[in-house]
Formats: sequence, C-alpha cells, structure tokens
Amino acid sequence: MTDPSSRALTVAVYLLVANGVAALFLGTLVGVPGLVLLTVLAIVSLWQEPLRQRVERVPRLGLAILALGAALLAVEIAVSAPSMLDVFTHLLVFLLLVKLYTRRTRRDARDVTFLTFFMLVAASPVTTSVVFLALFVSFLVVGTWLLMLRHVSNEADDATPLPLARGPVLSYGRDLFGLSLAASAATIVVTGLLFVVIPRVGQAALPMQPGGARMVSGFTERVRLGSYGEIEADATVVMRVHLTRFTGGRGAPEALPSLRWRGIAFDHFDGREWAVSRSTMKLALRRDLPVPFPILQEYGGPILTQEIHLEPLGSAMIFAAPRLLRLQGRSDFITLDDLGNVAVPAPSARLQYTVESEPEIGDPRRAGIAGARPPNDPRWRARFTQLPPMPPRIGALAREVTAGSPDAYDAGRRLTAWLSRELTYTRVLEAPATADPLEDFLFVRRSGNCEYFAAALAVMLRSLGIPARVVNGFQRGEWNPYGRYFMVRLRDAHSWVEIFVDGAGWVTLDPSPRGAVEPAPVASPATLWFDALRMSWYRYVVTYSVHDQLAAVETVRRATWTLSTAALHPAEWRQAPRSAVAGVALVVAVFVLGATWRRRRLVTPTAAVPAFYTRTLRLLARRGLKPAAGETARELARRAPAAGAGALAALTAAYERVRFGGAVLTPTETAEVDAALKDLAVALRTVRPQ
Amino acid sequence: MSLRALFARFRPRRTIRPTRDGWWCLAAALGLGFAAMNTGNNLLYLLASLLLALIVVSGVLSEQAMRRLRLSPVVPEEIYVGRPVLLGARVANGKRWLPSYSITLRVADRRLYVDRLAAGAEVLVTWESTFAARGRTRLPGVRVTTRFPFGLFVKTGRPLLEDHAIVFPAVRPIDPAGRRRLMAGGAQSLHRRGRGHDLYNLREYRAGDDRRLIHWRSTARVGALMVREMEAETAAATRIVLVGDGARDAGRLEAAMSEAASLAVHLLGTGAAIELIGPGVHVPPGRGRGHQRRLLTALALYDPRTSGSVPARRTAGASEIEVALG
Repeated sequence: MTDPSSRALTVAVYLLVANGVAALFLGTLVGVPGLVLLTVLAIVSLWQEPLRQRVERVPRLGLAILALGAALLAVEIAVSAPSMLDVFTHLLVFLLLVKLYTRRTRRDARDVTFLTFFMLVAASPVTTSVVFLALFVSFLVVGTWLLMLRHVSNEADDATPLPLARGPVLSYGRDLFGLSLAASAATIVVTGLLFVVIPRVGQAALPMQPGGARMVSGFTERVRLGSYGEIEADATVVMRVHLTRFTGGRGAPEALPSLRWRGIAFDHFDGREWAVSRSTMKLALRRDLPVPFPILQEYGGPILTQEIHLEPLGSAMIFAAPRLLRLQGRSDFITLDDLGNVAVPAPSARLQYTVESEPEIGDPRRAGIAGARPPNDPRWRARFTQLPPMPPRIGALAREVTAGSPDAYDAGRRLTAWLSRELTYTRVLEAPATADPLEDFLFVRRSGNCEYFAAALAVMLRSLGIPARVVNGFQRGEWNPYGRYFMVRLRDAHSWVEIFVDGAGWVTLDPSPRGAVEPAPVASPATLWFDALRMSWYRYVVTYSVHDQLAAVETVRRATWTLSTAALHPAEWRQAPRSAVAGVALVVAVFVLGATWRRRRLVTPTAAVPAFYTRTLRLLARRGLKPAAGETARELARRAPAAGAGALAALTAAYERVRFGGAVLTPTETAEVDAALKDLAVALRTVRPQ
Repeated sequence: MSLRALFARFRPRRTIRPTRDGWWCLAAALGLGFAAMNTGNNLLYLLASLLLALIVVSGVLSEQAMRRLRLSPVVPEEIYVGRPVLLGARVANGKRWLPSYSITLRVADRRLYVDRLAAGAEVLVTWESTFAARGRTRLPGVRVTTRFPFGLFVKTGRPLLEDHAIVFPAVRPIDPAGRRRLMAGGAQSLHRRGRGHDLYNLREYRAGDDRRLIHWRSTARVGALMVREMEAETAAATRIVLVGDGARDAGRLEAAMSEAASLAVHLLGTGAAIELIGPGVHVPPGRGRGHQRRLLTALALYDPRTSGSVPARRTAGASEIEVALG
C-alpha cells in the first residue's frame, strides 16, 4: 500500500480510530489504562502495516477470530454480568482491533468507519460534554474524507480500462480533500436542520441522566457551624443563568442589584446547625408541565425570567432569583414547601428549567402589599423566631446595635451594616475557642465565612423577635458577555438571611462582606468563549426538546409574519430587527458576489486552456507579446520573435492537439512540452520587452 | 399522446438504489432514530441526523455530478460482423462552473470511469465492441451512473445513445487462388505497379520487399539482389449475382453474404465497377468508397423474408459471379 490513496486511507483510518477511542474515554467506557492500551495497540498496528501487506492472508482467520471474540464476550457476560453498554463497548473494541490487525482492503477501512461511528453511539448515552461535539465534527470531517477517498479509489479500480482515452487518474490531492471538506460542511448544516426538525416525543425529552455525571460539592442543604479548616475556592461552573426577559424597565437585567440564586431556606437552629424543621410539603404530580407551575403569590412587581442550566450538584433544590413565582421544566413531579423551597427528585441529573421571579427592587417598606402580611398564627411567629438557649450577650449586642430602630427592616439593616463593618470575612476557619460557635464568631475570632454572618444575623434578629431565616444558594456569578448569561461557580455558594417585612413579605439581607474581600473573578476571553460554546451545546443540543421545537416553529412563524407585514409598510423598515437586516444584506452580498464570479468565469474560460500553454502565454506576456482579440495561437506564434520560435511552434502544436483535438499528452510528450517551455524561457531572456 | 409517451414523460429521469453500504446506513439511521425516540437522548438524535444528512448530501452531490452531462456518440462509419470496432461517446459537462466528479458510463458489462470533468470540459470515452450479426442493429445504450460521493447509493440515468447502426457482413481477404480465378475471368492490365500477374519492372531489392519476388536469374547476372515488380490488374465490370433466397439455411445465407461482401470489397479495391443483383436487391454498377458502402448496406440489410424477385440484368458486357444463398 504505497500509492497516495492508500496512504491517505491509512491516515484517515487511524484518525478515526483515535476519534472513536477518545469517544469511549469521554464516556468513561474505557479508563486511563484502557486508553493507554488501545493507543499502544493502534500504534503497533500502524507500525506493522507494511509487514501485513507482504504476508499472505490466512483463509478463514477472520471467522475464527470472531468466534473467539464471541466466546470471550459470552464468558464475560456470564461471569461478571456487565451492563449491555459495556458489552457493546467491548464488542466494538474487539472488532476494531481485529479490523486493524487484519486490514488489507478498502472494505476494511469502511468497516473501521462504521465501528468508530458506533463508538460515538456508545458514548452518547453516558456523556453530555461539549467535547462530544468536537469528536462528532472530527468524525464527520475525517469520515467523509475516507468515504470519498474509498469511493473514488474503488471506482477507478473497478472501471474497465479505456482503450484510447486516458486512464483513470484520480485527483487525490487538495481537490478531493477540499471537496470532502465542503461535503462535511454541507453535512453539518443538514445535520443541524434535521436535528431541529426531527419530531421529539414529549415524554422522551426528560432531563439527561448521565450515569457517569460527576457530582460536585460546595452547596449543601444545611448550615453547620463549628467546623474548621480552609474552604477551597472551586472554580467549577455549576450553574448557568440566562436572563431571557425582564419587564421592569429599559435597563439590562444583568445590571440588577443584589441578584442571587436562592436554593434552600432553613427555619430551625439548634445552636450549631440550621435545618428545615417541619415544612408543609406540597407534591405536584405532573407528567409534563405545559404551563408554568405556580410557586409563590405574585405581588405585582417587575418579572425577571431566567433559563437555568444546572449541573448535577447532589442537591434536589431548584435555584432561582428570589421571589420565585413560576417554574417551568421537565420533570415528573416537583416538591414545594412553605419555606418556598422547590425541589425535583433528580439529584444526579443535569437540569434545565425556566423560572419567573419578582426581584426585590427598592425599599420594601414602601411596598405596602396587602397579601404580604404576617399570618395571624402564633405558631408561625414562634417558628421563625425560634432560638436554642443562647449566651445572653448575643441578644444584648443585637439590642445595642438596633437601639432606636423604627421597624424590623431598619433593625435588620442596622445589624447587617454592623456585621459587615465590624467583622471580617474569611474562608480560613479556626477551631472555636468557646462552646458556642456564634459567640466565638461575634466576640472572640470576629471573623468567619458567609454561613457565620448569615447565622449571626438571623439569630440576632430572632432574639429581637423579628421573623428571620437563613438561606443557602449562590451569588450572582460571573457575567459571560459571549453567551449573555451568568456563570455561577462552586465557589459562589453563599448564605444569607431573609426577614419578614410587613407589607413586603420575606426580604433578603446579606451581612457577609465577602464582595469586599474576594476579588471579582475574571475569566480569560477564551474561557468565557468556550463556556458559551458549552452552554449553547447544552441549551440547543443536549436539552433540546419538543417544547423548543414548538418555540422554534412559533418564532419562525412570528418572524415571517413580522417581515411580511413590514415589507408591505416601508415606513417600518427602519424598525426592522438588525439581525433580519443583516441576513437580507448577507443574502444579497452572496448573490452579487456569485453573479460577478460567474460572469468573470464566463468571460475568461481558462479551464479549457492547458496549463503548459497558459505558462507559454505568461512567458510571452513578460516580453510584451499578448494575443490580440481573435488571434489564433498559430498567428501569435508567427508574430513571436525568432528566438525560441522552434520551441513556441512545438508548444503551439501541442496546444492545438490538446485543446481542439481532445488529445491527452503521453508522458514522453509531456516531457517534450516541459523541455520546450524551458527552451522558450531561456530564448526569451535574450529578447527585449516590446 | 400515446400511453407509452405519457409513461415516458412521467418516468423519473434517474433512478436511485442503495448499495450495500447504503442499506447499512439506512438501517443504522432507522435504528438510531428508534433508539433516540425511546430514550429521548439528543445525542442519539444528532447521530441519526448525521446519517440522514449523509444520505441527503449524497443525493445532492450525485445529482450535481450528473446534471447537465451531455453525451454524443462516436460511431465509426463502417462496422463489420466479427471485427472489433471502437465505439465511443463524448461526455461534455454543460455546467458553467461546477465540475462533475466520479462518473461511470455503463455500456453492456463495461464500466468506464471518468474521475473528474471540469466545467465546460469534454472527454472522449471509448470502448471496443464486436457485433455478431449483420443488419440494422441497436448500439448498446450508455447509462450514466454515479455512486459519488460516498458510495452509498447508485444513481442511474436513462439509457442514452441507443442509436441504430448498420453492421456489414464480415469481409475476409480473398486467397491468392481465388484472386487468380477472378482475374482469369477478364482481368485487364493497368500499366502501373501493382499486385497482378504480369511483370512490370525489375529493380534492386529494398528492405521490406517480399522475398518471393526475388528474381534469381537477374540477381546472378547483376551481382545484387533484384526483385520483380508486378503490373496492377483490374477486373472488368463485374456483376455479383445472389442466387436463391437463403431462406432455408441461415448459416449458409450468412456465409454467402460474407462471400459477396468480400468479393465486392476486393474487386472495388482493384478498381472494378461492381453491380449487385439478388432477390429484391439491385445496386447499379459503380466504383469507389461510397459505392462500396451502398453495396455493403444492401448486403447487410438483405432479409430473405422480405426479398422480392430478381431484377432484370441491365448492364451488358459485365462478367458475372454468382453467389449461392442456399
């Protein structure tokens, strides 16, 4: 296998093998040892390719190997009972190695293409990584090239030799590769279109349940004080929040102050740990949620719509900007308690959902919302002012700081300001010097993390008889301008406090001076861009569903209607969306460029002129000799200078034979033409330019 | 419009058929689509879409390859039974700016491959063919097919170049004895060099001369190899008469047609004027290439079932050769 097509096929085969093995590794279907072993085996196979071509094929060897493989798989299934996916993977790997080590024909190359494709198939249920996209595209490009190469080689070999015309000489070079790239690009476009339009079955659009999904820690469903050590700042992105709509004015929603993502609220404190004591649970059994599920009562403020993509956190909580009004997602059922905590029973799944919230804007004391009154139930007040036995100086401190406060909210703000000002935020927690961790935090160490700040504020408020609760969630995160969403990382896990304000309901207070201590995270543009790509992958591919299909159809329908309406009213053209204008401009530009190019090609039909005569004309043109309009090649040759006349005559004769006689030059004639070109070039050097 | 014409109008210009790889691709796409719908796994949807997209792109590119291809026949003027002949087709890409890739011309059991045909370019594709029977025959049609670009589907166009051609009877050389017999029946010397029986000249031997023509006596006398140059001869006007109708024995008829054609070609080569007469056949006397074609055409198209009576013999003074049709 030394001809160019065979070498190219070999390269393509091993690229596909690498792609397939990488897919298996991505889906954790093979581990690092397996990856190393397969790589070594592939390299050895590549190394002994020339030897394989010289050895005679052993008859029925392939059949024997397959029988052996089937027996081994049967033993594996009987002994270790792996999953069907593992069996499928092992079968693929086995067949791939067999093909690699017995590869001789182009059909084997085709088989390798199919096997590596099924490696992508095997990886697809167990990964949602954006790296899959890269493997998919690389498979498409290399696979297309391989299939085209194999096709033209086969066709040329199978063809009957032509008696007079030239034999099949394939364009293996850039021509075929460029064509395969164009075919790949077209395939990607059509794949995208088909992916969008292939109908989804409603129930099938469940959240992904990747078996190997990594669960990340950092957010917890409890707040426990008293532990010590250094909290690591893990930069893993756990949530992406896309702000799709805001009804509260013209400002950008990402500029909203105090945006945060509420997860779980706690009402009971035992002196060390905050927990959910007794919560009235509402269970909503829904197979699907065609309309948003109502969570909290709407107060009439501006609405912020968020589309949230949540990585598996090990928590069942739903995160959203407070106050969460409505939830729309895909789940069999959700649970909702009277603390406003919303959960779905899929802690290991990657979730995508849309929520509508009513963010807190302005002074809550002016809200005066009739529905936001405290319940006239002493058990409610007792629940949110519950405290364990506490050192008396904590309550005394609270009273001292809030002395003269006219209302609960003012008291809460004073305490918040005092905590932020007087105490220090740190992630390095030392062992408490006293038995009570809060007393230690407030009077001894005077530093702690956000959980200490939140717990201290809630306890101090409760000591004043103000209903308060601690909330765990995430800070707003880093704004990604490329994807226009917030990247929320593990290190953004945060605790804060909600107090009940008469006429405004539960209002957020965040006493932690964390923002002043920690520098604002700045990711590199490349990181942001890659994360935006990953977000798009999750949003438009991994979690694409029948709802998205319907939304896409509706968008197209609306856009078509808008455009057609606008087209009839020129006065509205200026108000047309920029994207529509850009699209129309692009179409027009492509059309004009195409037409220009086409016309130019028609004017100068250079394709039919053989290359050697083009070079001849170029040589003559350097001496100022150009063919006049309507002048034949023979007339031009007569007009040429005497130097090199013989060479020019030979070139002209060859040109006439090729151009008008349909002749194909033999290798000898080609060599003569080359020699004549050289002679002409040498001869023309003595001629002065005209 | 006849029913057949109506059907022809609605018949698709090209047919498409999956290859074995294509069937695999279709089955895999179907299986993956089924798995995707059952699991809701969008990556499976993506992979199924990829296979379907390959099929779509394959269809578009193969159509692009076959679009605006023009075929024109290249058929020799004379085709003889049993003699290999070179047929051909000029394949022209009529597209203005897109080349055609990987085109296969199927002629009977042959596959003639054109790997790339640039926009506006033309290529001559030829193949050898041998015809077994004389008469008006339909040339083997050419089907343009392509499996471009991935080998998943075979796209086949309608058969083209199904022209008719006339296959002449086999023409064989007349052996020397037969030639002598022909000359005996009224051969005339032409007083120029040729291959007759009378001596025209003696000259020195040149490389390539027939050694049988060495004149030994002159060689001995002169001391150098001398050869004879013979005088050219021509037969007088000759009439080839087909006797019988050949309806009983087809083998005999074909042999007789071949004999008549061979005689006619030979005699025309000697410059004789040849007339052909037979049942329902009459080609008046004539000479030259055009007349030879007329004679051979008449012999090629002779059919005992449609033959009529023997026309009256008009040319006086011509020698006659009878060929029995059996």
